[in-house]
Amino acid sequence: MSRHQLGDELERRGISRRDFLGFCASMAAVLGLPDTATNAIAAAVENEARPILIWLEFQDCAGNTESFLRATHPTVADLILDSISLNYHETLMAAAGSQAESVRQRTVRDNVGKYIAVVEGSIPDGADGGYCTIGGRSALDIAREVCGGAAATIAVGTCAAFGGIPAAAPNPTGALSVADAVPGVKNLINMSACPANAENITALIVYYMTLKQWPPLDQYRRPLFAYGKTIHDNCERRAHFDAGQFVEAWGDEAHRHGQCLYKMGCKGPATSQNCPVVKWNEGTNWPIGCGHPCLGCAEPNFWDTMTPFYQRLPEVVGFNVGKWIDPVGLSLVGLAAAAAAFHGIGEVARHHLGKTRPIEDKAGSEK
Amino acid sequence: MTLKRVYVWELPVRLTHWLLFFSILTLSATGYYIGHPFISVPSPAKDHFVMGTMRAVHLYAAIVFTLAVLARLYWLFAGNRYARFSEFIPLSLWRLRSLWRTFLYYSFIRHDPDDYPGHNALAALSYAGIFMIYLVMIATGLALYTVIASASSPFQVFDFLVPLFNGLQMARLIHHIGMWIVLIFVVAHIYFVFLSSIIEHIGTFDSIFSGYKFVPEKEAERS
Repeated sequence: MSRHQLGDELERRGISRRDFLGFCASMAAVLGLPDTATNAIAAAVENEARPILIWLEFQDCAGNTESFLRATHPTVADLILDSISLNYHETLMAAAGSQAESVRQRTVRDNVGKYIAVVEGSIPDGADGGYCTIGGRSALDIAREVCGGAAATIAVGTCAAFGGIPAAAPNPTGALSVADAVPGVKNLINMSACPANAENITALIVYYMTLKQWPPLDQYRRPLFAYGKTIHDNCERRAHFDAGQFVEAWGDEAHRHGQCLYKMGCKGPATSQNCPVVKWNEGTNWPIGCGHPCLGCAEPNFWDTMTPFYQRLPEVVGFNVGKWIDPVGLSLVGLAAAAAAFHGIGEVARHHLGKTRPIEDKAGSEK
Repeated sequence: MTLKRVYVWELPVRLTHWLLFFSILTLSATGYYIGHPFISVPSPAKDHFVMGTMRAVHLYAAIVFTLAVLARLYWLFAGNRYARFSEFIPLSLWRLRSLWRTFLYYSFIRHDPDDYPGHNALAALSYAGIFMIYLVMIATGLALYTVIASASSPFQVFDFLVPLFNGLQMARLIHHIGMWIVLIFVVAHIYFVFLSSIIEHIGTFDSIFSGYKFVPEKEAERS
């Protein structure tokens, strides 16, 4: 039995044909493909050689790995994951030390231009790359070697895609995204979010296996099937937003009735992701579904521009402009009106004191 | 001193002025609600559309505002001498002098206002500044609109503006700050127009309806 073919293995692992087609149909749904795509996906997943993946972890919390391990269809997704982890994955591989490093090097060398690099975590370039080293080599060095020879690079999670939390101000380690750390990287796909949704990562790989190409991307190189709409567009609480029904305080009546979290600082309107549709933890629920505003974790610089999380407008360089701008603006308009009134009194006074050009002159000459 | 009737504001100037006036009032009122939804409605949600209406009105008013700004910018090149580019940037010596004189007049130091038929140099400079703010408001507004518009909308050509403002949230903050600057300008503008109308008696307020001002003859000749 070929390790790279899924068909026989499904049976061996006790996955029924029905479960397998269910998985393929759900992948078609995530990708926004019609129902008829299910058969094509099934054929591709069953028969095509699985792409070789090398999963690199740098400045991260392993949250994306954790998320991926909890994919909705663990048995089927596991099989796809197997070909990833078997080559190189720091958290999952059994090998350690120089043995593990040599596996990675061999995979890169033997499959130049054919394998897919997956990067999790940001890449620091401070202290000559000294803030993150593996086996004595800097993350920057490893990323350039592995991503440089890859057919495509998938940056999983906001840290790899945009720098994420390590790159938040003041960015002590000089953390970079994959795009910045590996200039000219080929076929980069950013799967941002903190963590990236396992359904979307699996769907991306299935898309590639089925169609032999990468999906259309947005301006931040994120696949449109997962990042083409905002949280707000598909939010289950959207009707409350349009109507004008807002939560004003935690646990108030509106909150208990599941109304809109906009005034509690929800960043759904500024965040592109398919959370409301795909949800989390086997489709159980998602943040807004359980009464918490969206933090905007899928967007570039989210830690700097989406904070404070429970406020509509952002804080700038330690001064909470977002909180004060509107009261201050309103006061300044009032102040301007008051200043105008005072100036007007002055003008009237000077007019009565005869300190301006007499109006009679002009009025008289007008005839 | 004889007064001369001068045609100062052509129809496009007056028209864009009033389009800007009404669109700014509408945009500020709906925009304030969008930032701070102060009206809350009872359940069920299907019976109400307050935020939805505010946003729709805001977007339509934004179209009027943007087209009015663009039309007025075009008229900088096509309009009469009082509407042109050179009016707004005090580069010539007499405009700089007029700027200083107007400042002294408003500070109660000089007693005679500057009688130039068009904008006084200080007002013109403030209009140049406020039009810069208008452009920033249009740019931040278009950036925010890219996430409202569908992925296939032609308005997606403006999505390059989003990273330019360091993300949607920063664009949103700048959009708020811009509104307050515009409203402070509106208060000052209305005050100075009435001041000029009442004290100088040259028909400043009427001129934005009729297009005509009444100015001392020698001032009307100045260029």
